[in-house]
Amino acid sequence: MSKAVRIEPDLQFIKDLQAVGGDSLKKCYQCATCSVACPLSPADAPYPRKEMVWAQWGLKDKLVNDIDIWLCHNCGTCSDLCPRGAKPGDLLAALRNMAYRSLVSPTILGTWMSSSKYLPILVAIPAALWLFVWYLTTGLTIPEGDIVFGKIFPGDYTIDPIMSLTFFFMVASFVLGVSRLIKSFGAAGGTYYVGEHKKPSVLNCIKDVLFNEVGQHANFKECGGEVQKPEDEERFKGHLALFYSFVILAVVTGLIAFGHWGGKVIHFLEPMGHTPLPLYAPHKFAALVGMCLGIYGLVKLTSRRMNLDQSKTKSSYYDWYLLGVVWAVFATGAGALLFRLAGVATLAYVTYYVHLVAVWMLFAYLPWSKLGHLVYRTVALIYARYIGRVPLS
Amino acid sequence: MAEKIGVYFDESAIGPYLNVEDLAENVRNRWGGNCPVIETSPILAGEEGRAMIESAIEAGTIDGVLVCGSSPRVDWQFFDFGPAIPVERVNLREQCGMCFPEGEDEELKTLMAIDYINMGMIKLQKTLVPEPEQIETVRTVLVVGGGWTGLHAALHAAGGGADVVLLEKSDQLGGKARTMYKTVPLAPPYTQAHPTGIEDLIARVQAEPRIEVVTGAEMQALEGAPGAYTAKFTNGTEKAVGAVILATGWVPQDGKALAPLGYGSVPGVVTTAEFEAMMKDGQLKAKRVAFVLNTAKALPRDLYQPACAPEPAEGEPAGEEAEEPAFKDMESARHLPYASAVNSVVALKQAGYVRELDANAQAYIIYEDMMVQGIHERFYKAAQDDPGVMLTKGYVARVEPGEGGSVLLTVKNTLLGQDFELAADLVVLPTGMVPTTAKDPVMNFVYRQGPAFPDLDLFDGFCDSNYICFPYETRRTGVYAAGAVRQPMLMDNAEEDAAGAALKAIQCIESANRGVAVHPRSGDLTYPKFNFVRCTQCKRCTEECPFGALDDDEKGTPKPNPTRCRRCGTCMGACPERVISFDNYSVDQIGSAIKAIKVPDNMETDGPRILILACENDAYPALDMAAMRGKSWSPYARILPVRCLGSVNAIWVADAMSKGVDGVMMLGCKYGDDYQCHFVKGSEICNRRKENIAETLNRLGVEPDRVEQYQVAIDEYDKVPGMIEEFMAMILEKGPNPFKGY
Repeated sequence: MSKAVRIEPDLQFIKDLQAVGGDSLKKCYQCATCSVACPLSPADAPYPRKEMVWAQWGLKDKLVNDIDIWLCHNCGTCSDLCPRGAKPGDLLAALRNMAYRSLVSPTILGTWMSSSKYLPILVAIPAALWLFVWYLTTGLTIPEGDIVFGKIFPGDYTIDPIMSLTFFFMVASFVLGVSRLIKSFGAAGGTYYVGEHKKPSVLNCIKDVLFNEVGQHANFKECGGEVQKPEDEERFKGHLALFYSFVILAVVTGLIAFGHWGGKVIHFLEPMGHTPLPLYAPHKFAALVGMCLGIYGLVKLTSRRMNLDQSKTKSSYYDWYLLGVVWAVFATGAGALLFRLAGVATLAYVTYYVHLVAVWMLFAYLPWSKLGHLVYRTVALIYARYIGRVPLS
Repeated sequence: MAEKIGVYFDESAIGPYLNVEDLAENVRNRWGGNCPVIETSPILAGEEGRAMIESAIEAGTIDGVLVCGSSPRVDWQFFDFGPAIPVERVNLREQCGMCFPEGEDEELKTLMAIDYINMGMIKLQKTLVPEPEQIETVRTVLVVGGGWTGLHAALHAAGGGADVVLLEKSDQLGGKARTMYKTVPLAPPYTQAHPTGIEDLIARVQAEPRIEVVTGAEMQALEGAPGAYTAKFTNGTEKAVGAVILATGWVPQDGKALAPLGYGSVPGVVTTAEFEAMMKDGQLKAKRVAFVLNTAKALPRDLYQPACAPEPAEGEPAGEEAEEPAFKDMESARHLPYASAVNSVVALKQAGYVRELDANAQAYIIYEDMMVQGIHERFYKAAQDDPGVMLTKGYVARVEPGEGGSVLLTVKNTLLGQDFELAADLVVLPTGMVPTTAKDPVMNFVYRQGPAFPDLDLFDGFCDSNYICFPYETRRTGVYAAGAVRQPMLMDNAEEDAAGAALKAIQCIESANRGVAVHPRSGDLTYPKFNFVRCTQCKRCTEECPFGALDDDEKGTPKPNPTRCRRCGTCMGACPERVISFDNYSVDQIGSAIKAIKVPDNMETDGPRILILACENDAYPALDMAAMRGKSWSPYARILPVRCLGSVNAIWVADAMSKGVDGVMMLGCKYGDDYQCHFVKGSEICNRRKENIAETLNRLGVEPDRVEQYQVAIDEYDKVPGMIEEFMAMILEKGPNPFKGY
């Protein structure tokens, strides 16, 4: 690397990074303890010290296009061991937050997602939307008789079209985001092969990532280093439980949708899509298991975050926003179920309304939220294998 | 002179190693007539032992005390009976009992003990009660230099009860501090630069009635000796002063040292001193300022030396007639890196100026080594936390004009291996700090050895005689250096220095008026006495004195100045006529003690004998430590402590040789550039004198290599026995001293 790069240390960039969670990055005196401590960092051009130096130098492009920020699973070992309390783990998290904020348009959403002061706007949109639906169906009154949420929010004409549109909007955003992400990795350039090497096929990379990283959380488990602390265990179990909870709930939702819409053509499928499901339905039972698993995961992850040593690792707004929304989804989902079974109509309907608001927030804002890592990290991990930044396992 | 000697054996110290009764019996037989008291005590080093000896002194039974027990370096508080009662400690525990090698004939141990007791007895008999020379002293401290250090020194000296004359070269007090916008933090929490407070300090000095301020004048001459100096100023006034604090500070290094970094050729490149002035005058406009802390680029070639020596011009006689310049300027390229610890912190401070003026301005600090000492770590952390201050490690390889009037830096050897370029509106380079004593004699001593401090080239002109042990001390007793003239430092250290030097100056005056040595033999009552009848005016003593204590008259007769003297005895060692002596340390005394060693005639059957003259400051404690840590050495060695190897007179070697001793080993401090000598020059001078000794030995028909000097540091106790072993092996190979048996 003999050619000199032109650097322009950028005050505003540093302030931006500090605002999205990298507030201690200036304390770094570049000793490299972090890179040595990290169990995942590759030997060649290891992170996160490189990123700490780039941030100081103001190499915005390098940082924004850096694939390594996605290789980090944020265990916080580097921050624990940092002799200056510079929290390199937080910087990488901040860089990811920056990516969530600005990868796809409308970037105004990214801005709204970056600070708690915009939260009312984010809540107001779905709140107004669902309130409008409620107004259209029952004129904002609580219906008589059996508690059936479809009375206020009928699936066919409200939930399904709105949620489908939201879903496709999210998918389209991700397609855009992913293409930009891959382009940015390409812009960062550099091949990591030394000597002769057979390029792995994209399919093998995808299989490896989905099976090992996503399916088993292999690196996520290893993250934390040789000494496994109880909080690392908590984080691993919590994240895995929550992940599989989402998988189960997604499958159940899919089955219901399939039964409902498919049932209009193939009639024997109809009961599978008829809500409310009876408690003895196998997929209702699966949903209950998913709910419990999710709440278990949330408890683990929340307790870990609350017990983190603030001087070592700080949780950003992005972390709390996501935890908050997911909590809202699960709490209102469970609440709506319980109030419905208990026959408390007012509470059941209102809770269900809040549930819809939360679910919409989760999906509609997903590409700009921390949950974006579900897609971006997966893509980055596949790409990293493809270009040889990390080997196939 | 002690005539009635009380001999005391400490059973607790030497009982485990030696038969005390036999030794006492031996003393009775050999010295009975001189020793009214020969006693053994179970525990001598204690209040009871002390009371026992005191009662004998009070009864008038004894007038000298010989203590046979532990090393004189321990338990000394029990064996001090005032200046009128000489005490000699015979070290039979560490250097006879403990060091005796296992398996050797016990008889040899007894012989060793008897030799040591006899040597001690002789030394005691040849010790006089010291008569101090007291002089009338002036309780005035002269402070040279009215800057931050000098002002503080003046206040401290006045606070300590002395009158003060404060001499400042310029017309105004304040020095460099007056030109500064702010200082690095001097008070908790040490995170923010703040105004220096120099105006208040000047006002306090001016309000202090004990301090007389003289401005617009320099030192023209300093005559006399500590306690009674006459200071002459360039404005014609004269002051009687007792001691001097040298606080003349530093001058900025010539800018040519910074030329490789673009200074003088690239617009927008300034030094920290110029930058400070820009800030102070409100001229600072730059929004991007780079501070460069690299010094290596200035170093590879010494800009102060011509590449090759100029050829002597045709017809001009080379060599001899070219006269030595009176004073050689010691400014060099190295003054830049010496100031790195100061420049590092100053860069942090000045980066703060950039940020203070404009919240959107940026400062870049590029360093190879960020040297931030002590509490200033807090300041460093605070600067680091500022988002507008970039700190990065790298080597500034090039400084050149950039686009739009900017300056472009090329930085190599960065942490990521990635070179980078950086544009700045202004580049600030470090300032080398050249001590004033590198440029000028400053004090203008009227001393025989010249107007300047000696050998400062060893420290590139910094006026500091011994780097670790004795801060403030210079090679001229009575003159104490403080502040940046001594070592590059920030204002907080300078303030501490000022206090330290003020205390030293007061101590010096208070010692001179009681006739005792100031340093390092603080409280020593003796001083060199000259028997001028036999003096041949050879001037060796006046030339060799490491501290310039001795002046001389036109004929060359030495003029002792006891208050300048540090009592090392280098003059005594130098004198070929042996006319110099101390009341308790003389050529005759040590020579006689050497002659008291019993040397057997037959080396084959009774073994050789070697004499070890050991420096009492380093080598002697190293030997003690070796023994305490279970090391042992030859039972044929006899150790005699000396004040300094510089005090070793050639006649002692001749005495030993004529007595039949097979070899003389001189154990002294390290000398040369990294000297560790208490008296700076002693061991080096001793080494030079060995030539004379070799000549003497040749004349006597003895191989000169029977006399060897070894260098040992106080912590090298583990190496000392090996040195003795090596020397012993060499002697055994040579065989017996040809003088043996005569």
